[in-house]
Amino acid sequence: MIRLQALCKAYALGDETVTALDEVSLDIGAGEYLSVMGPSGSGKSTLLNMIGLLDTPDTGRYQLCGHDMTILNEEGRAAERNRRIGFVFQAYHLIDRLSARENIELPLVLAGMAPAERRPLVDEVIERLGLLDRAGHLPRQLSGGQRQRVAIARAVIRKPALLLADEPTGNLDSHSGAEVIKLLEELNSQGITLLVVTHDPAIGQRAGRRLRMEDGRVTEDSGAVNTPRETGYARR
Amino acid sequence: MRLLDSTRLVSRALLTARLRSFLTILGIAVGIAAVSLLTTIGAGLQLYVLENFSQFGSRIIAVNPGKTQTSGIGALLSSTRPLSVEDAQSLRPLPFVELVVPVVQGSGAIEFGRRVRHTDIIGGNGEMAAAWRFEVAQGRFLPVISGNSQPFAVLGSKVKQELFGEASALGRFIRVGGERYRVIGVMAAKGQMLGFDLDDIVYIPIDRALALFNRSGLMEIDITYRAGTSAQQMAERIRQRLIQRHTVEDFTITTQDEMLSSLDRILGLLTVAIGALGGISLLVGAIGIVTIMVTTVQERTAEIGLLRALGATRRQILLLFLGEALLLAIAGGLFGLLLMSVLLGVLAIAVPSLPISLSPFYLLLALALAALVGLLAGVSPAWRAASLNPVDALQQE
Amino acid sequence: MRAADLLQFNLRLLLRQRFRTLMSLLAMAVGVAAVLLLTGLGEGARQFVLNEFSLLGNDVLIMLPGRKETTGGIPPLTGEGTRDITLDDVQALGQLPSVRRIAPLIVGNAQTHVGGRSRELLTLGTSALFFDLRDLGVRQGRMLPDIPLDRAASVCVLGAGARQELFAQQPALGQWLRIGDRRFRVIGILDDRGESLGMDMRNTILIPVASAQQIFNTRGMFRVFVQHQPGSSLERARQDILALMQERHGGEKDVTLITQDALLGAFDDVLRLLTLGVAAIAAISLLVAGILIMNITLISVSQRTREIGLLKALGASANTVRILFISEALQLALLGSLLGAITGYSLLALGHWFFPLLPFVVSSWALGAAWAIAILTATLFAWLPASRAAAMAPVLALHGQAR
Ligand SMILES: Nc1ncnc2c1ncn2[C@@H]1O[C@H](COP(=O)(O)OP(=O)(O)OP(=O)(O)O)[C@@H](O)[C@H]1O
Ligand SMILES: [Mg+2]
Repeated sequence: MIRLQALCKAYALGDETVTALDEVSLDIGAGEYLSVMGPSGSGKSTLLNMIGLLDTPDTGRYQLCGHDMTILNEEGRAAERNRRIGFVFQAYHLIDRLSARENIELPLVLAGMAPAERRPLVDEVIERLGLLDRAGHLPRQLSGGQRQRVAIARAVIRKPALLLADEPTGNLDSHSGAEVIKLLEELNSQGITLLVVTHDPAIGQRAGRRLRMEDGRVTEDSGAVNTPRETGYARR
Repeated sequence: MRLLDSTRLVSRALLTARLRSFLTILGIAVGIAAVSLLTTIGAGLQLYVLENFSQFGSRIIAVNPGKTQTSGIGALLSSTRPLSVEDAQSLRPLPFVELVVPVVQGSGAIEFGRRVRHTDIIGGNGEMAAAWRFEVAQGRFLPVISGNSQPFAVLGSKVKQELFGEASALGRFIRVGGERYRVIGVMAAKGQMLGFDLDDIVYIPIDRALALFNRSGLMEIDITYRAGTSAQQMAERIRQRLIQRHTVEDFTITTQDEMLSSLDRILGLLTVAIGALGGISLLVGAIGIVTIMVTTVQERTAEIGLLRALGATRRQILLLFLGEALLLAIAGGLFGLLLMSVLLGVLAIAVPSLPISLSPFYLLLALALAALVGLLAGVSPAWRAASLNPVDALQQE
Repeated sequence: MRAADLLQFNLRLLLRQRFRTLMSLLAMAVGVAAVLLLTGLGEGARQFVLNEFSLLGNDVLIMLPGRKETTGGIPPLTGEGTRDITLDDVQALGQLPSVRRIAPLIVGNAQTHVGGRSRELLTLGTSALFFDLRDLGVRQGRMLPDIPLDRAASVCVLGAGARQELFAQQPALGQWLRIGDRRFRVIGILDDRGESLGMDMRNTILIPVASAQQIFNTRGMFRVFVQHQPGSSLERARQDILALMQERHGGEKDVTLITQDALLGAFDDVLRLLTLGVAAIAAISLLVAGILIMNITLISVSQRTREIGLLKALGASANTVRILFISEALQLALLGSLLGAITGYSLLALGHWFFPLLPFVVSSWALGAAWAIAILTATLFAWLPASRAAAMAPVLALHGQAR
């Protein structure tokens, strides 16, 4: 589903350039569950942003679902993000003046969907993620775990093919963290391709395919596994 | 994105920072109120003045002795080449001419029995009332005869009131400048014109007025003309005829058309200028919108990043923030108009004579102005928001 | 907190929020500059007009024939009364103890010929005293001779413009010219002067009053200028003149006396009011700038909630916190007003440079008022947000919660 070929990205920091991605090539199949680990500054977030079409590579090719992403303009990338990709961030990034429900339906609003069409979709996600009694609350009235669950609901509301999570448990205690991971894995088991960046080895180990990055390169790749269900983690 | 949804998002953002939005709106409102109040008053005065002048009709031309170079007082002065009653008569045969009125004005004592009133005396002829569109309330106006006139006088309503009270004045004898005159008419009340009381006047025949004031020349000749010719053509005919008689152009011709239009222009310009003064406040209000919008974009950087991650295009971001600025400005405009109407109401109660004309067109124009201010002030901050890099924006605290 | 520390603390803040600071300064500056510019222009215009018109001293009365009873209206400026003011009247008035000098005036447009040239010029018939009364001087030659009022003389004095019109580059002094059907010899040329009391003295010819009576075939005076005796009051002179005229005109009060003060006073009032009004309109923008400063202080308070908590934890009193925010706003207002004052005065100076006719008036009252309004609004408008900050509970503030 995802094919990266020799992706490079360098940032200029004053006089010197920092190489964030150094010829990264990667194939990811539909429905895979990947974790990305590595020291700080090794390029994990940059890789995720690249895949998530938030950032553009300097050189290299990127195909998503068979389409060349490097030829897209800003508009096209925005549309792809909206349709195929869901993001979960460490900092939740909920809009604090909007209720949980309104936060969740944002992608549908941006896509221009009619309220009548949105309602059943939002209702379904809210129920699936166990947020029924919290839907009307503002983010600040929610616990960290609940906030992240709202963020996840928002990420999957458009039924994207790809779910990208950058340290989703970074701000959470271990219990809430485990719950969030369980939720993500559940979604993965329903077919979504899941990429999780984490510093927590325990979480990283659960993925069916584990990447390790150092200095902008993928130094270890446990290799593709046919289906994530076979790992058995999702059912645990 | 649907309009309803974006409106909801925008207004939600504005409502969250309630005090901030209110103060921004207030700034614009004060500016809009200032501009619209001042232009409304200006336009009202303009209308008032024009109405005052156009009550004489627009197909009227005035001839005054002397060239305009000698300032505005030419008509009052003696002259070696005065405009004569004969000059006035000579204009009658000109094509399109309707009425010709020779005018002399002065002041003097009007006596009836023991009562005396010092007031304006205007020398004219029988056509004067029609030419000036003054109406006779009782009796008739001066007779239309040429040559030696009889001592007839027509009283303005105020003079009549002062000298005769409620009693009838018709047929009574008064003294004007010591000479006996018979009152043959009383004019209808006309009111003030630019501080000049049109009712405090006594009208007498022109030849008698010239003798009374010991003048050789007229102060003015008023000519009205029929439709079918232009003011300029008419003025030219009069000019030719008078030059024929005087050999040189020692008079000044003013057409009411010209005067009204130049007056209109000047007053309109004045109104715009006063409005522009109020516009300074609007400018400061606009600075307020820019400042607040820039601050808002700064504070909501992370949110902008998120929206981009969720698939919002640059255009959508631009429109969202432009919409915020616009909404602030339009709310300011509405509030400003409200403020203006309150102030106008107070003003109308305090100064009832103030001519105020509210036209919906100008109100809409004020709103449009507010919207324009919002757009102009919002463009730069909104552009800033739209061109934020999503990755960087997401990292903002 | 020491004032110097406070100043430094604020300056650092203002520098960090450069854009916001710049915009508030701009807003304040625009307001102050507008007030100064407009009052400066208004004052300038007023002085210009007053200078132009105040040719007669305060001790001069103008008498014109005719009288109107309508109060508050325009005086009967047409100058036609049922009974003329004659030269005899003028001479009689000159005998009054309360009258120092008196000058009659007949004004008319007359065709004037020199050689082949012919011009219509404003012709003033008057006496030698007129020159003293109206402060007229001659550039060349001499003034009108001091002859009895009822004596005609074939001499004239030319305004500078009239001289140019009639003689161009040729010498004028001693030459003969024809006004109407009479001949006059040029005995003097007036100083260059602008317009005054609606008459452009540059384009006039002055002749003895009796000569003017002949030319225009008229008996009555258009105006009479009366200067009262320094010892007596103006009102006294006024009463005397009116009484004498009434007596001479068979008991009729049929002349109008106006003083320059009465004439210019109304004018002056209108212009002053106009200046004030314009300044007030401009001052509205200061109010708007004040609102902006309030808004910015509000934002500053909400963005620095944690800092306020910290300061309080470090022992800052509520008062210190309030002073912190008010002084920030005050600093903005002061700086902005300073900028505005500099801009306003520069623009005025620039205007004076381009249009030297317009006097450069530094209206200190406007400056004072603008500064006062600026500072007052800033303090007043900053008060609410500053009090909000001062009232924050330290613990909550530390966690970034305002309440
Ligand atoms: N916008 C940027 N400008 C300059 N340098 C950047 C930028 N974004 C990332 N970098 C640099 O690129 C490299 C990779 O950054 P990245 O954020 O991908 O690291 P990471 O692996 O996600 O680290 P962490 O685990 O701390 O989140 C780092 O050296 C970083 O300094
Ligand atoms: Mg990272």
